[in-house]
Amino acid sequence: MSRLAPCAALLCGLLFGAPALAADIDVASYGYPLANPFEATIATTPPELRSKVPSDDDIDQADYDLKLRPEREFELPDNFWPVKKLRYRLAEQSGRAPLIFIISGTGASYASGKTEDLKRLFYGAGYHVVQLSSPTSYDFMSAASRTATPGLSGPDAEDLYRVMIAVRAQHPELDVSDFHLTGYSLGALNAAFVAELDDRLRSFNFKRVLLLNPPVNLYTSVSNLDRLVQTRVKGIDNRTTYFELVLNKLTRYFEEQGYVDLNEALLYDFQQSGQKLSDEQLAMLIGSSFRFSVSDMAFTADLINRRGLIVPPNYPISESTSLTPFFKRALQCDFDCYIVDQLMPFWRDKFNGGSLPQLVDQVSLYALEDYLKKSPKVAVMHNADDLILGPGDLGFLRRTFGERLTVYPRGGHCGNLNYSVNGDAMLEFFRG
Amino acid sequence: MAKYLIPLTLLLAAGLAQAAPAVEDDGFTNPMEQLQFNPYLDQREFERSTLGALNVYDPWESWNRRVYHFNYRADEWVLLPVVRGYRYVTPGFVRSGVSNFFSNLGDIPNLLNSLLQFKGKRSLQTTGRLLVNTTIGIAGLWDPATRMGLPKQNEDFGQTLGFYGVPDGPYVVLPLLGPSNLRDTGGRVVDFVADSQINYLNVPEVSRDHPEIFALRVVDTRHTTNFRYGQLNSPFEYEKVRYVYHEARKLQIAE
Repeated sequence: MSRLAPCAALLCGLLFGAPALAADIDVASYGYPLANPFEATIATTPPELRSKVPSDDDIDQADYDLKLRPEREFELPDNFWPVKKLRYRLAEQSGRAPLIFIISGTGASYASGKTEDLKRLFYGAGYHVVQLSSPTSYDFMSAASRTATPGLSGPDAEDLYRVMIAVRAQHPELDVSDFHLTGYSLGALNAAFVAELDDRLRSFNFKRVLLLNPPVNLYTSVSNLDRLVQTRVKGIDNRTTYFELVLNKLTRYFEEQGYVDLNEALLYDFQQSGQKLSDEQLAMLIGSSFRFSVSDMAFTADLINRRGLIVPPNYPISESTSLTPFFKRALQCDFDCYIVDQLMPFWRDKFNGGSLPQLVDQVSLYALEDYLKKSPKVAVMHNADDLILGPGDLGFLRRTFGERLTVYPRGGHCGNLNYSVNGDAMLEFFRG
Repeated sequence: MAKYLIPLTLLLAAGLAQAAPAVEDDGFTNPMEQLQFNPYLDQREFERSTLGALNVYDPWESWNRRVYHFNYRADEWVLLPVVRGYRYVTPGFVRSGVSNFFSNLGDIPNLLNSLLQFKGKRSLQTTGRLLVNTTIGIAGLWDPATRMGLPKQNEDFGQTLGFYGVPDGPYVVLPLLGPSNLRDTGGRVVDFVADSQINYLNVPEVSRDHPEIFALRVVDTRHTTNFRYGQLNSPFEYEKVRYVYHEARKLQIAE
């Protein structure tokens, strides 16, 4: 019996393998000041602690259009004229340089704040940078998505891949040494699927791929986001809605200050003042921002596919048509409603799909587990207090990525992306 | 052999059972647990708030939407290309000089409207700004006042009217100028007339003979305005801009 214990230990070791350990950063050496994940998500990093990046004047950049789906010219109503072509942004270095693609997060366009921050970081380090809208954003859905029903990670990655190839073809003179890929939030999940696709199709041979705060189980993440608007918020009554409450607080804050100064530190200073929002109120604010993204997505998917859930099919829409009634209807739809009303029926119809757990398995990181385990070029940076994760998700990342996972103790959801310590770590990873 | 196998499997199972909480204990701090939720998760507060926010008086909506699309196109095809060219041909210090110069002129209506609202401290600060920037700042090309702790504080006649309780009136999208309402449109006209009557630094008078000064002012205004159409990346941008304008004006009048 005494010989059994080491024997069993050995067996355990053989069966489960001794996993390489993820890099865990402790709070003291990390130095990120915001301990509250909700504050960190909204206010991000205090300005003096952000990465040092070049100003816009020092960046040689322009926006370009791609015509990828000519049929949408006729399918989309007139007031969609700005999104009949897909727009992206390219920042060019003068000579030969590595190129990095950045995929934006849920509902975000190529020009959204976080994508711009990442662009400045990488451009400052000598990369050509291409910024892409999220497949869930309304411009991408209208101009680049074949199905205009985002959420199926496989087809979404194919759409993104097609866009990337078209971007490369539009700039044949651009001198590129290597291709890299990154994305944050949902864009990180997209990046993982694109990386896997590229390993089969080999158009870019991405040298390194970095996933920043990806959802692990997509359904856990969207359920968390849906629940954020269900927090118990004090101070709302029959006369005051939640938005009015926040605006009243903001007004009082400005009155105390004596002047309006809309600068980068505003949210940070506001949370230090007497008018600061509670965790529940902050959660409501984050949840609201995601609900706006869902309503855009639900409306656009419904309109393009003529499903008739929000807009009656063939309803005449011109530039002068009021969209407010449809906005009101779309605002009733959360992630769960989008999945149940649009994504699941579509997936069953077109991809012979089955149950919700099967869908979740197919679209989450689980689907790529084997690929990610044996792909040394893919790494993850995540936060221990990220609100899009659920119990067990970090464990999955630890098992799958081993030492290629870095876990920061703070930062909420993507709040520390512009922190100088994170910026340095990202650049270090791509430097190789 | 079977005798050994059973305890082995038991041990393995125990190892698994112990490993399960260890995997759960993966360093995740579960921020959602810290929140207090509505017990039935059936709160409709987001819906109620947003439906309330869509309640902006906009009887001329279909006209406004047409103008909104006209402005969007004018911006894409004319104004922004001009601004890009302007940024390309001028060095940064010239652009900031131009911006400061026009900003200094704008302090005249700021001062008048601060006075009309009996905002003593603000009037004094804006007077100080005008004196410092026009003299030390050489006709307003530099802005030393801000560095001396006299921040720029915008006040227009629309705000003054709002201060005296004049309601917004219907929402209006003005050609090229963008979102406004009936009250603020009237305010703009008054500010414009006052500006040309006071004729500060002779600029309004000289502009009459030299439309290029006016053109430069337009380009500078677009250069310093950060808003871009399509920036909100939403099919409901019109509604969102309308709400933000409505609330921003309320805030400006209140402070």
